[in-house]
Amino acid sequence: MDGYTETAVPAALHYDALWHLVTLGVLDADHAPRGWALSKPEKPTKVVVIDTSAAPDHPNLVDAIDRDLSLDFFSARLGSFPYLPEGQDQIGALPLDWTTTIADGLPRSSGLLAELVDRLSSGSAAHHLGVQPCVSPMFSAHGTNIAGLVGARPAIAQQALPGGGTADLPLPYSGVDPMCRIIQVSTNFDPAPESLILAFLYADLVGADVVLLPRVIADPVRTVPELDDIKIGDRSLGDMVRQVAPVEGEADLWSELAALIVAVSHRRPVVCAAGNAAEDGGIYPANLATDHNGIISVGAVNAKGQRSGFAPARGVTVAAPSNDAEIFDATEIRLDESAPDYDPIGVPVDNDNAKYSRFDVISTDVPGPAGYSGSSVPTDPVGAPIREFGSYFSRFGGTSAASALVAGFLSLGMSTGAMTGRSGVEAKGWLLGKCHAVGDPDAPLSMPCWDGKPTFPDA
Amino acid sequence: MGLHDILAANRFTVTPTGLLLNETSAQPVADPATAAGGGGALSVLALNRNRNRNRNRNRNRNRNRNRNRNRMLDAAPDGGLQEPWRERQKLHALADQWMALPLPPPPGLDGLRREAVDLLIKQALRRSPAESQRHEEIYREAGLELSGYLRPLGIEELGDYGATESLFYLILALTDEIGLRYKDRFGVLRPNQVEPRLRPLLPNPAHQSYPSNHSFQSFSVAFLFSRVLPEHPASAEMFVAARRIAENREWAGVHYASDTAAGYALARMVAPVLEQVCAEQMLAAQAEWL
Repeated sequence: MDGYTETAVPAALHYDALWHLVTLGVLDADHAPRGWALSKPEKPTKVVVIDTSAAPDHPNLVDAIDRDLSLDFFSARLGSFPYLPEGQDQIGALPLDWTTTIADGLPRSSGLLAELVDRLSSGSAAHHLGVQPCVSPMFSAHGTNIAGLVGARPAIAQQALPGGGTADLPLPYSGVDPMCRIIQVSTNFDPAPESLILAFLYADLVGADVVLLPRVIADPVRTVPELDDIKIGDRSLGDMVRQVAPVEGEADLWSELAALIVAVSHRRPVVCAAGNAAEDGGIYPANLATDHNGIISVGAVNAKGQRSGFAPARGVTVAAPSNDAEIFDATEIRLDESAPDYDPIGVPVDNDNAKYSRFDVISTDVPGPAGYSGSSVPTDPVGAPIREFGSYFSRFGGTSAASALVAGFLSLGMSTGAMTGRSGVEAKGWLLGKCHAVGDPDAPLSMPCWDGKPTFPDA
Repeated sequence: MGLHDILAANRFTVTPTGLLLNETSAQPVADPATAAGGGGALSVLALNRNRNRNRNRNRNRNRNRNRNRNRMLDAAPDGGLQEPWRERQKLHALADQWMALPLPPPPGLDGLRREAVDLLIKQALRRSPAESQRHEEIYREAGLELSGYLRPLGIEELGDYGATESLFYLILALTDEIGLRYKDRFGVLRPNQVEPRLRPLLPNPAHQSYPSNHSFQSFSVAFLFSRVLPEHPASAEMFVAARRIAENREWAGVHYASDTAAGYALARMVAPVLEQVCAEQMLAAQAEWL
């Protein structure tokens, strides 16, 4: 993109790229921390993100993503370490909780834990059995956006000047907790339970302080809506519409995964996206959240403080800032009247269009042509001066974005010492203590705010 | 400089065309700690909207705004119409009578998921002996085809009912356009976009789900024919045929029951308009029977 003049766009259409941090009360309007200060914690808060791979060389993420502990389960069954220095083909002595009891009572997971522990022992191959990790940054947009919302650091990069030479280029972007360390744990999206069990076991082994799962898990039985309770004759509907025969023993593994997620959540909060299709009660595994575990189901509010059009209305633990979606159905009519293709014909006068917000959440994106935002020039080589920074950021949203903000919020509570109890239930209690009612007064959502009351820039 | 000094001294602003660094762009940044006007030639760059945000992150966002493929009358068999441009002109002249009819909005996503479970049940029963006849009907009715309407009238293979057939084609052509406008307005995702476990028998048509055009068009034929020949013994049967055609789309997994109901409601409300637009053809059809 080129040829922009600064007066071309009315200022009212502009908004602060960090509005979500201001809304969460983490930064003030001048982007100074509200009631906390940056420090260099001796033991940084560890946020395990179970998602896609990320782009760890992004200038705002380069200090955020833990290159020693990030692990990819996409291609190698017991994981390959994707971000170790060039030429390092063995892992060192990893700081893991080797004696964890997290899989007690889960026989198959215990077997997997034993295999994983063995595979992670000092001197083991970085790439398990020589299998490459599947982590090209080009296909890491989701993980890169999530990582940025959690823990991006403001940075000074180098820009290539048009006439030659370089100059400093500030990249004033920050995640909620720019002190945390992100351990990126990536899996593939085959609906098979084993690699997710391994991912949650690994989250416990590394001693995660917060686990973030900004995605659905496609458990064939637990996918919402669940079909097994619907019977046709003496057969369940789930069984009748199943397209492939069940894998021997897999049902037990799926059940163990559900139990393992709950067990992991007792030791630290597990933050889950509640779903982007207004699923009542949330998607799996966000819908495992109860008062008695540390699973936190996260819904979304827009920049007007209204529930985002795509977000579940009920059954979420908390909500956090995100983008919005248009709705035109029996539940609500909320359309973007400023959209170029908006057509007022047939839109009832009595509508909720005023609740719609065009604001997106901005996050870090894969640099270059790949990712959610593209580029007209090839990707800058790692470490080389930046030719354009537009592709380094993108609009983001969904309950993915909201869940990442909540994970960062919990991490900030830990990094600053504001939160003392670290168990999942304690962390959830602390988070709820920070919450304010937002949205529809008849069906309010709880949104955390670090300091003061939440403010909404599009209201 | 500290991390927060970078935030304090600089700011990204989101604009409709991209991301702007420090509001104004004039000179390259010499000292980022103090340069409030920094950014240089790089200050505004692409912040593209994600092409697939709908599917991947935010399913409801673009409301499935696929456009209609041109699938009008070019496939019509012998006896079909040329493009009915005169009638379209009449129809458009009456636009304020049919563009914003009070069709109730579709169910929300939770309601659609509940209806999709009913479609999964239909899918499970599709091969049962009681329902297996539907397969052949579904494939036959996928395109523009009149036998479903002509057979109840007993004129399927008779040559003397050209005006009746032409009327039906005309109704199908005009209602197709009307239905597409309502589909575009509500932007409802097809059932298997909401419930991926569904396996439709047919590919999803390239437009949105609500209302069902098969339902709308079929019931429009039934309503209009019952104006032409209310005394015909098959007048009532035409509605049964229309409902069978509409419901077959549910059995095929490409429409919700609410789409079918909306198609019916729209057909009933549009009938007075079609009666004006198609008056000539209705009289011609009537003449074949009286």
